[in-house]
Amino acid sequence: MKRDFWVIGLVSLLQGVVLGQLGFFDVQRLGKGLLNLGRFAGEMVPPDMGVLPVAGKALLETVQMSFAGTVLGFLVSLPLSILGTRRLFPEPVPALARLIAAAVRTIPVLLWAIIFVILVGLGPLAGTLGIAVYTVGYLAKIYAELFEGTDPEVLEAVRGVGASRLHLVRFVVLPEGANALVAQLLFMLEYNIRASSVLGFVGAGGIGFVMQVYLQTLDYQRLATLLLLILAVVLVMDGISGWLRKRFLLASH
Amino acid sequence: MRNGKVALRTEGVWFAYREPDWILKDVSLACSLRNVMMIMGPSGSGKTTLLKVMAGILRPQRGKVEVLGIEIQRGVSRGLRPAIGYIPQQLGLVRSLTALENVLIGALSRISPGRGLLGLFPGHEVEQARAAMDLMGIGHKAREKVFRLSGGERQRVAIARTLLQHPRLVLADEFVSDLDLPRAAEILTLMRQVAEQEDITFVMNMHEVQLVQEFGDQVLMVSNGQVLHECSAQEVNLDRFTEVVQ
Repeated sequence: MKRDFWVIGLVSLLQGVVLGQLGFFDVQRLGKGLLNLGRFAGEMVPPDMGVLPVAGKALLETVQMSFAGTVLGFLVSLPLSILGTRRLFPEPVPALARLIAAAVRTIPVLLWAIIFVILVGLGPLAGTLGIAVYTVGYLAKIYAELFEGTDPEVLEAVRGVGASRLHLVRFVVLPEGANALVAQLLFMLEYNIRASSVLGFVGAGGIGFVMQVYLQTLDYQRLATLLLLILAVVLVMDGISGWLRKRFLLASH
Repeated sequence: MRNGKVALRTEGVWFAYREPDWILKDVSLACSLRNVMMIMGPSGSGKTTLLKVMAGILRPQRGKVEVLGIEIQRGVSRGLRPAIGYIPQQLGLVRSLTALENVLIGALSRISPGRGLLGLFPGHEVEQARAAMDLMGIGHKAREKVFRLSGGERQRVAIARTLLQHPRLVLADEFVSDLDLPRAAEILTLMRQVAEQEDITFVMNMHEVQLVQEFGDQVLMVSNGQVLHECSAQEVNLDRFTEVVQ
């Protein structure tokens, strides 16, 4: 109890110091920020629906990029995560697979997009590749951890019938992890839709490019329309993945 | 013992997950072909470890383990692997697969990797799997996912899977311990029948004296990683077990 008090006290003190250093106690600055926020919000209303055709097209490209990138990333992350599972492969195979995933994950998705713009030029191809690579880093780690949690007794029993490593993956690891596998994939797709909406900032295609133009020209009413469209897509995605989870995933347990 | 030929033999087996904390200390035993050997002992006496060593899942630091005349202490060859059936305490079933799919896993060592990966089992294997399920009285549950089955039904699926392996020796770890006595007896009756029909030697860990007496041939009492006493199933009673273990 006393120790808990000291820990909470110390963490609060540290948090206070950090917030102070970051300018959180600069009341004048924060007050000015609040006023600006009000003005910014005011200038967004009413949203300009005249940009819907342009924004809709750009948004469709964003959704395409995220969908294709997520699927590509998933296809690569699956074998990589299986190689990263210590219950299936002896060292150094898992360590190497996990190192590759960690290295890929170190670079944020925006930086991957810039790298691919340099490699393949401007446009949605660069964005799709950026999302795919980032997805590999993220899903490979999550899936390797998930597969690591496979019941060792089941693996032992199936290995005992003379099953090969690939059979173990096919008949134990994948079916036992299927629910979490799909749940994480849906989460990744939702995340990628949000993330890919800014990739246009660096010329990697999608709605981000249009967004950047409206920001630079201080065209906040049009920007508001874009944000509403992104919100609508995210809500629809939430709805679809929620329905999928309820329909297919919860039904199996 | 019913038959002079030995299905399973260990000689001076020592095993430790981390030396020198020995779990098994100088274990020597022999089980004849077609026998049902029951291993009794208090919790933590090393019964499960002994079974895993005899199944070739764990490798002992010292000693010899012989299954059907082949030494396995340094690993089980691919050819011998299907001959040794192992049913763990929690049965080792894949909960998200159907009962039939779980039973078909028993045939994996006989089909090509490609077919196995696609889940394309040859017709005769599927027929055999269905026959094994019928024998166990769960033919009507073939399409049911394992997590929807009752404890007794799961036990039957695990046995059917082991049967499809075409084993000569089956090692089962307290696999009826979650069932009430009548259900456990029902399962063991089935196993006993199968053992006789298919010429299978059974070795199982069991703590229920009544079941040991009724279904065992040979009994081994272990405590603290050592074999303390060996006798026939008829000679076993609770007093004798308590006396030996203490």
